[in-house]
Amino acid sequence: MSDVPTIEVRDLHKKYGKTPVLRGCSMTVRRGEVVVVCGPSGSGKSTLIKCINGLEPYHSGSIKVEGVEVGAKSTDLPRLRARIGMVFQHFELYPHMSVLDNVALAQIYVLRRRRPDAYERAHQLLARVGLQDKSNAMPVDLSGGQQQRVAIARALALDPQAMLFDEPTSALDPEMIHEVLQVMDELAADGMTMVVVSHEMGFARRVADRVVFMDAGEIVEDAATEVFFSNPRTPRAAEFLSKILPH
Amino acid sequence: MPDVILQNLPFLLHGLWTTIDLSLWTILGGTLLGAALGTIRFVRAPVLGTLSMLFIEFIRGTPLLVVLLITYFALPALLGYRTTAYKAALLGFVLFIGAYLAEDFRSGLRSVRPSLIQAALATGLNRWQVLRLIVAPQAMRSVIPSVFNQYVRLLKFTSVASIIGVTELTGAALLVNARQFHPIAILTTIAITYLVLCYGLSLVGRALYAHFGVKT
Amino acid sequence: MMTYQFDWGPIWDARGLIAQGLLMTIAVSAVSLAISIVIGLVVGSGGASNSRAARTVSALFVETMRNVPLLIHMYVWYMAFAFLRLPAFTCAVLGLSLYSGAYVAEVVRAGIGAVRRGQMQAALATGLTRLQAMRLVVYPQALRIIAPSLASLFSQLIKDSSLASVIAVSELTYAAGAIEGQTFRTFEVYIAISILYLILVTAASQIVMLVPGARNEAASASFADA
Repeated sequence: MSDVPTIEVRDLHKKYGKTPVLRGCSMTVRRGEVVVVCGPSGSGKSTLIKCINGLEPYHSGSIKVEGVEVGAKSTDLPRLRARIGMVFQHFELYPHMSVLDNVALAQIYVLRRRRPDAYERAHQLLARVGLQDKSNAMPVDLSGGQQQRVAIARALALDPQAMLFDEPTSALDPEMIHEVLQVMDELAADGMTMVVVSHEMGFARRVADRVVFMDAGEIVEDAATEVFFSNPRTPRAAEFLSKILPH
Repeated sequence: MPDVILQNLPFLLHGLWTTIDLSLWTILGGTLLGAALGTIRFVRAPVLGTLSMLFIEFIRGTPLLVVLLITYFALPALLGYRTTAYKAALLGFVLFIGAYLAEDFRSGLRSVRPSLIQAALATGLNRWQVLRLIVAPQAMRSVIPSVFNQYVRLLKFTSVASIIGVTELTGAALLVNARQFHPIAILTTIAITYLVLCYGLSLVGRALYAHFGVKT
Repeated sequence: MMTYQFDWGPIWDARGLIAQGLLMTIAVSAVSLAISIVIGLVVGSGGASNSRAARTVSALFVETMRNVPLLIHMYVWYMAFAFLRLPAFTCAVLGLSLYSGAYVAEVVRAGIGAVRRGQMQAALATGLTRLQAMRLVVYPQALRIIAPSLASLFSQLIKDSSLASVIAVSELTYAAGAIEGQTFRTFEVYIAISILYLILVTAASQIVMLVPGARNEAASASFADA
């Protein structure tokens, strides 16, 4: 286990124009940890994780991925991003390419793997998410759950050190949520470092090491899973839980 | 302002006025024609609809210059009448822009959601009332950008009338240039004039759309 | 009322001239199309970029080129820049390319903007550089989206090439004028070249629609008529 935390966020501030979106957020993710970030809409959860891989810029504070400062001008962002995989709420598979090409693309152009190797790895990953028979299909032919599983395979194709998930199941019909969560369960069991923005509290309880609760741009609570669910320290977190748990 | 322009200012201003005059009449005639043709196509009138379609397709596949040559030379020769360059240009422009506007109006009418039309019919309104009270008002607002696009285009292509001898802005400029050869000064001034006119017109269109446009 | 005697014979006799004019029209159009696509790609991408400077330059180019009539463009190259002694063909091509290039730029800009923002983010998230992301993910999708508008622009360019006749390029409209002068078959000659333009324009549209995925977009297309 390395000493350098995989992801370290310190006192992060961000504004959209005049409106503050992130107010002094700090959190640390160690190797192998699974952290679920939850909170009401507009709390800044998606913005926070998009700052981690530099998709969103931040105004002050620090984010370090494996010790490298994300916002520093000298940082090679594409290289950093190759070490973190990201899965989006709306899947964002490239519609003009087949499933296989989707998973192989970054391997070829970012890692510079040879095509046969890239395609073989792609086949392996598609098999891992249970979609080996769909490799020649186009994204439009797949269901939402299937597309999201391909998206996970696409993110895994670069052998990342950590995975970021931005509400991976929020855009899915209920009957398809399970198949995606199952893949994520397996990833966590294999020891992947994960930061997951999600409302799926069942998943959090089952798999997460820690839960981070955000509200109005601030990290209100950051506790080990069991502690968070049984004994939330702050009233805001308690209120959120009471609304979201019965279902 | 360059000397050659100042010396010929009244003549050039008259040309500018002809351009504006041509444009306004064309906008009027072309919009009426376009609205009529567009509606005919939208309601799929049996005979008129096909004739309109043939007319529209013919015009849209033909260069403007050729349309003007037809209205100035070919039609008068065919039907044995005489016409002036100005009238031929006006006719040509109206027919030309009418065909393009027809398509814009037609897609505007089609852009109104069918479920909205069904809802209106369900309240007992007949087809014509629905067209007049609900579809047309909505359609008109949504077509503002494309219609103004055509108007700006129209303003530019009035310059083609100079080729058949109409003394609008371009024609006037060419005549001045023929007598006092200063192409750079003259053409730059003319270009800037068109730029200001066209950009101004497109701004008007954008303002109208911002105010009246239908936001879905 | 109609005392006009139709006589298509002389038109057929002049088919050699017509064919030459047609070839010249195709030549002017093809070269101008190629150049305007390059201009349009560069300026349009600039218009869709994050850099405000690039967007401003792009907008300035587009508004200046578009709001000046094509006829003036051609006269500028032919007369204002007469000291360059450019052949008429080149003047026509330059005028047509810059004018149409501005329209292509607008279409390209809109096409890039129409690609879901998440696509660029997803591509960047896998470690692709901006340039790679544009090339592999954004441009291909933008091309499919704008194919119907491009077809329309292509057609318009072919029609606009008729203005080259005014600066003595011997394309189709010029040939028609020459034939009319010789044969006085006014109606027949102009109808004949109208039909030829119609055929050219239809063929051009169909060629652009061969781009894969273009036909799906066409169903919901709004034509960006020049």
